[in-house]
Amino acid sequence: MPATPRRRFLRSSGLALLALATRDVWLGAQRLLGLVRPRLPDDPPWKVQQVLKQLFGDRPVQEGQGHVQLDVPTVAADGRVVPVMIESDVPMTADRYVKGIHILVDNNPDIHLAEFRLTPEIGQAFVSTRIKMRMTSPVRAIIETSDGALWGAAADVRVTVNGCG
Amino acid sequence: MGVAEVTRRLEVGAARVLVPTTIRRGDVIDVRALVEHPMATGLFRDPDGHSIPAHFINDVSVTYGDREVAHFVWTSGISRDPFVEFPLRADREASLAFTWKDNTGGVYTQQVAIRFAAQ
Repeated sequence: MPATPRRRFLRSSGLALLALATRDVWLGAQRLLGLVRPRLPDDPPWKVQQVLKQLFGDRPVQEGQGHVQLDVPTVAADGRVVPVMIESDVPMTADRYVKGIHILVDNNPDIHLAEFRLTPEIGQAFVSTRIKMRMTSPVRAIIETSDGALWGAAADVRVTVNGCG
Repeated sequence: MGVAEVTRRLEVGAARVLVPTTIRRGDVIDVRALVEHPMATGLFRDPDGHSIPAHFINDVSVTYGDREVAHFVWTSGISRDPFVEFPLRADREASLAFTWKDNTGGVYTQQVAIRFAAQ
């Protein structure tokens, strides 16, 4: 069996290490600059699952399909006023439309914060409002279409001032 | 001018509904509505240590003409002086009426007329 030439081994492992290091530095820099939100755990916590079960029964909430766009700040200086915008690309036609938009905040005393029930006369599925947040927490937006499908999106919001008491 | 005069007093129930000044038939317009309300969670205390009772709007109804086009169910998690913005397809000339109801029985209303600009 021919031994791997030492020179070639050193060169390839060196390159691999360099690639790893560059990637880490790049990711670290992105996070420092606030370009990338920290990734959320895939499953919502138990208390949130309970609320979802109460609201929607056993219907699954589909994530990451791009039907819900949630716009919240990465860092909210004041937890008393956190702007939230939710938009969906589901058209508001008479036979299929967005029936409801729900806002859930994992670490608030009241997890199911608001529900916006819409009709096709709205013309476009969009809602903007301002909410209170007790502490740093994921904010979840869930839309329910008239045929019963559920689509969700979530984002972490860092809160520095408690807005709930 | 004293401090009391500078600090704006909260006038519970004073509401504004804003729609664009020029609307053409069939436009999807932006509707913005704000009502002055403390939205007290019941978890805060006043400076003397007495707990401030919960007082918040939990039900909002939007009617366009004679039909309800949107209905919101809120909790005290909505910020003080709750503001909401959403689109509306302006397909008829009618009044757009908001009714806010709070957990202590308060009912606040405001309406604005949707009128089309002369062609």
